[in-house]
Amino acid sequence: MKRSVFFLCGLLLSFVIFSCHTVKPYQRTYLNDEAMQTGKRPIEKLSSNAHNYREGASGGGRAKTSGGCGCN
Amino acid sequence: MKKKYLVFGLFAISSAYGFGQSITNPYPKKKIPKSAIQILYGQYLQDGEHSAITGGIGTENLQVYSPEFIVGTELDSLRSYSVDAGIDVITSASMDNIDFVKSSASRVSTRAYLTLAYDQQFKKNPNNGLGGRGYFSIESAYLSFGGALSYTHSSLDQSKSFTAELETYFDDLRWGRLNGERPLQLVYPSELRYKQWFQAYLRQSFNLTLSFQQTINSRMVLAIMPGISYQQGLLSTPYHRAYFAEGTERVENLPSKRWKFPLGIQLNSFIGDRYILRTYYRFYWDDFGILANTFSADLGIRIMPQLTITPSARLYTQTAANFFKPYQMLDTTMTYYSSDYDLSAFNAFELALEGNLAFFKRHVHRIEMNNISLRYSFYKRADGLYAHMISTVFNLNGFKKSSRKNDLSDLRLK
Repeated sequence: MKRSVFFLCGLLLSFVIFSCHTVKPYQRTYLNDEAMQTGKRPIEKLSSNAHNYREGASGGGRAKTSGGCGCN
Repeated sequence: MKKKYLVFGLFAISSAYGFGQSITNPYPKKKIPKSAIQILYGQYLQDGEHSAITGGIGTENLQVYSPEFIVGTELDSLRSYSVDAGIDVITSASMDNIDFVKSSASRVSTRAYLTLAYDQQFKKNPNNGLGGRGYFSIESAYLSFGGALSYTHSSLDQSKSFTAELETYFDDLRWGRLNGERPLQLVYPSELRYKQWFQAYLRQSFNLTLSFQQTINSRMVLAIMPGISYQQGLLSTPYHRAYFAEGTERVENLPSKRWKFPLGIQLNSFIGDRYILRTYYRFYWDDFGILANTFSADLGIRIMPQLTITPSARLYTQTAANFFKPYQMLDTTMTYYSSDYDLSAFNAFELALEGNLAFFKRHVHRIEMNNISLRYSFYKRADGLYAHMISTVFNLNGFKKSSRKNDLSDLRLK
C-alpha cells in the first residue's frame, strides 16, 4: 500500500516537473501575486507556532524545541 | 489645407513630447519602498486535560497574546535589512502546578525576542545572494541566542530558485532571568527538588533547510523543501513530571540527542482569475520514533480586487515517541520516559478563515497602507486539546520625505 502511494506521488511529481515550460516576464502576472508565493505567510505565523508547540514533528529552531520554551 | 495644418500640428506635438521625454530619463530607476512595516498581533486560547507538568493529567489552559513588529528596509536594489521584535505574554494555568500553587488562577510569564537580518545580492550576479540573521530570545525559564546564514540562487528567467539556510541555536534552560531569582538554576517540580536530575542545562540546535522552487507554467509554482536538524544537550523539560505504574514519580527524561528529517512539498495554482489554491504536504521522521504527515490546503477567493477570502483546512497525524506512555503507565525499566502528550500518537485538524483587504496606494503623510489581514482558526487534537487562534497583520510602507517626492515625480512622468 505504502509503496503504491509513494509510486503514485513520484509519478505525479515527475509529471508536474517535466511539464514545466518557460514563462516570459510579461506572463508572470499570476505568479507574482502575493498569495502565490511559497512558504508560510506572516498571517499563518501564530498557527505555525501553535503546531510547533503542540505537535511532536516540529522542525529545529522552533519555539518549543529551541529558541524558546513553549513548555505549557 | 486643413489636413496639412492637422498633420503639422500632430507632428509638432509629438516632437515636443518626444523632446520632453528625451530630457527626462525614459527608464527611470525603479523606486522601491524605503521601509516595509509589518505589525502583527496574535491571540491564542487553548485548553486540554493532559498537561505534561502534572504527568499527563491536569489542565492545559493557556492564553498567549503576541504583538510583533517587523521593519524591513531596502538600502538599494541589492541590499536590505530587517528588524523583528516581539513579546509573547503567556498566562498558563499548568505552570502554577510546578509548585502546585492553587491560590492563583494562573501564572503570567513573558517571552521577548529580537531578530536582525541582512540580505545582500551580488553586484555582478544579482541572481545570487547571501543573507545573515541573528536571534535573541528571553523568558523566565529560557535564554536563547541563534544565528543563520543563507544562500539564494535564481535562474536568469526566474523560473527556478534554490535556497539553502543553516541555522544554529544555543539555549540555556535555567530559570530566573526575568523574575530575578538567584542563582540561576533548573527548576524541577516542587516535590522533586531533593536532587539534581540533570547536569546539563544547555541545548544546541543545528538546522539545514533547503528549498527548490520551480515555475511549472504561468499559473503554477512548485516548491520542495527538505531539511535536516540535529539537537543535543538537555532536550527534556525539567519541570515535566513522570508517574510510573509502580506509583513512583520522577522528572521526564528524554535522550540528549535528536535527529529530525522533514520534507515539505508545496504547489500553488492560480485558477481562473479569482481562485488561488495552495496545497502543502509535509513528511517528518525523527529518531525519537515520531513519524508525521501533514496535509493542508487553502483556497483564496478574490471576491473583488481589494478583497480576498481564504478558507483553509489542515490535517495532521503522528505516531508516538518510543518512550511516551500516559499517566501512571510508565515502566521503571525504561531509560527514557515521558507523559508529554505532544509526543503521543494523535490526529489533529485545523479549520481557518482569513480575510485580506488590500488598499491601492492609500497614503497618509509618509505612511502608505498596503493591506490588512485577519485570520481565525480552530485547532483540535484527538486527545481533546483544542485551541482558538486569532491573528491580524497590517502591512505598511514608510517613505523618507525625499523618496516620497521622487516617487510622485516618477508617477507624474508616467
